[in-house]
Amino acid sequence: MPTGLVDVLHDASVLYRFVEFIGEYCRQQKRSQTYVGSAAVFFQYVEQLAAGIQDELRREVERAAKGSPRLATLRRNMRTFRGYLRLLHTLIKPAADAHSLTIPGPLVDLACQQLQEVDGMADSRVLILLTPEFMYFQRPHTDIKGQARDIEAFIPSASFPPKLGFIEIPYSQGPSFFTNLAIYHEIGHFVYEELSNRKPSHGGFRTLASVKDRCLNKAFNLRSSTVTAGARNAVRVERNRQALALAEKILENWTQEIFCDLFALRLIGPAFSFAFIEMIGMLGVSPTQRVTFTPDHPAPACRFAEQVKLLREDSWWKEIEDLQAEQRQFLQESASIPPRRYTFLLDENHRGPRKLLDAFVTDLVPAIKDLVCQLTRRAVPSVERFRRVQDGIQQSFRAGVMPLTDTPDKCDPVCIINAAFCFYLTAVREIVESFNGPGHDNDVALHSEWKNRIEMWTMKAVEDSQFMRRYKKVQRYGPF
Amino acid sequence: MVLSRQAILTRMKAPIQSSERLVITPLLYKNENDLFDADSVDLRLGCHFLLPKALDQPFFSPDRTSANSLYVRAHIPLGQFLVVPAHQTILGATLEFIKLPSDVSGQVLTKSSVARTFIVVETAPWIHPEYRGCLTLEIANVSNTPVLLYPGRRTCQLILMLVGRPVGEQQSEPVAARSETVKSPTTYFGPVYPEGPKFKDPQDDLLDIGVARVSTLRRGELCRQKEGWIDEFCVRQGSRKARRVRLP
Repeated sequence: MPTGLVDVLHDASVLYRFVEFIGEYCRQQKRSQTYVGSAAVFFQYVEQLAAGIQDELRREVERAAKGSPRLATLRRNMRTFRGYLRLLHTLIKPAADAHSLTIPGPLVDLACQQLQEVDGMADSRVLILLTPEFMYFQRPHTDIKGQARDIEAFIPSASFPPKLGFIEIPYSQGPSFFTNLAIYHEIGHFVYEELSNRKPSHGGFRTLASVKDRCLNKAFNLRSSTVTAGARNAVRVERNRQALALAEKILENWTQEIFCDLFALRLIGPAFSFAFIEMIGMLGVSPTQRVTFTPDHPAPACRFAEQVKLLREDSWWKEIEDLQAEQRQFLQESASIPPRRYTFLLDENHRGPRKLLDAFVTDLVPAIKDLVCQLTRRAVPSVERFRRVQDGIQQSFRAGVMPLTDTPDKCDPVCIINAAFCFYLTAVREIVESFNGPGHDNDVALHSEWKNRIEMWTMKAVEDSQFMRRYKKVQRYGPF
Repeated sequence: MVLSRQAILTRMKAPIQSSERLVITPLLYKNENDLFDADSVDLRLGCHFLLPKALDQPFFSPDRTSANSLYVRAHIPLGQFLVVPAHQTILGATLEFIKLPSDVSGQVLTKSSVARTFIVVETAPWIHPEYRGCLTLEIANVSNTPVLLYPGRRTCQLILMLVGRPVGEQQSEPVAARSETVKSPTTYFGPVYPEGPKFKDPQDDLLDIGVARVSTLRRGELCRQKEGWIDEFCVRQGSRKARRVRLP
């Protein structure tokens, strides 16, 4: 037996068993639960990968046992497999937990359909993960895909599903409907990452990058200070370089957040703003927090101001401006704060450069909005249709009936969601009184029960609208 | 009087706020005749189910806390099927959400073609006026063979009947608009998925008819002895006084 083979054999068999467990786990999950989105595709990939790694291990160890001097290579390959499996390991369990009983499947299906209408995102898919964090995230996928490509060189039978995004939902919010509209923001992060890293890069993102450079030039007066200072003083040059890198990172963070807000708003309308306010508990933020930019996020006031601007441009605002809800009031108040009141704190004690903030608001934000509008031009819902059906949907709720989907107008899921959310924010007290009688104004349990009922009815209506759409297609074009 | 197809369709076109409005949504049919018979409407099987699960105790107590311990939820999307083993029962729901008018009762019956496979839908088939929600269906496979159920297929039929009026009130008179008054939600109000039973505790139920002392078995009160599987358990009296007795 060649020297070192015993150790390699041990390592290989441990890895073999680990991979076997992962493959079997995915098979079991697929058998025992129903998944929406792309979980089935992802599990299939993991199974193929597991089988491929096992084959590779068997083959290579056999070769080594016959005296082939490949032990070092085998060890290196096993390290690569282990590293990649460690990464996948963090995705598999959260993906397995996110089955159709724990997440709002109809909403995820709708979001995926809309995502595929976005320019450059046809055939894109989303994998939902349940996270223990109380926040929504998009798991950056570029690194995962990079590693997956490396692995593909060893295991060509398992190719990573293309255009796959990873969206994390807090497990406690899984079944709730309206809060989960926040996934549209996270899908925005996926689109941003996917299109900005694509080669050749997307035209809109090239333009955005040049505006970003312009902002940096403006904020740091680059030509006159950095370069000339560099000639005089190396320390100062280094400090400027670091400051520039930090500013670039900060601008990128702000850009992504505004991009994702506006992206979500374009796809799902004002319901996103309401969900966002609910989710991050914005109603309780202090006036100072509201206008403060941090290195990670633009000020909430700025974000909501841009949302209101877009809602006005898309004609949504007219539909919600009379809504007697705190959320609408909050949006309006935030939008009325002038940008000169925004502040930028690098940390608790240090202010960031004002010029950067100003350049972002005046130059970059309009460019972001243009890009979002360009990307989503085929995916935007009809406000006109919302105007026509809003009353009908809300009357259904008042009559204690889920929204009907009996006409093409009423079948529009975005209209259903927005009308239902407006009702949810304003009319629960009224419906409690209507069905349970007076005297229940402050009964929290009853209000909660009705809110849950409205969410369930909305989800069912969105699901029905998808059945109806499929059914109408069959009616028109025959089975497909 | 059983409502005719024409009467059903007319009521489905009434304004949504009207107490006479009948709602059945979504209605998926190729031709009207596929779904509407002369005196009934076919309903489809929904995608959500409650399947019986093995209990961690040798009995089921119909009380407030145990009500949902009998089931495990399952979602079967359209295009997939669920196997109902021989002699097993499950809870499903209609795909359609219905709302009955205030003067109409309904009855759900197994579709005859389904019944001929020895699948029985509904053992409590009566639906009261003003019911809202997807109907929970108690589905039993009484055959000796496992049977596949496909969500989305027509499984049962809804028959609607006019509720008689008190003497002196004409049937043709419009029903007093219930929307103007308080509509107390029934026990099962507006579900979109199958729901387990909603029980009060037996003590509370029986107290209503003057029974003050009620024996109950509660979860966790069974004791496992060294020598036997179960030979002793706690009996809780209605007065909440507990004593231990030996089983025969």
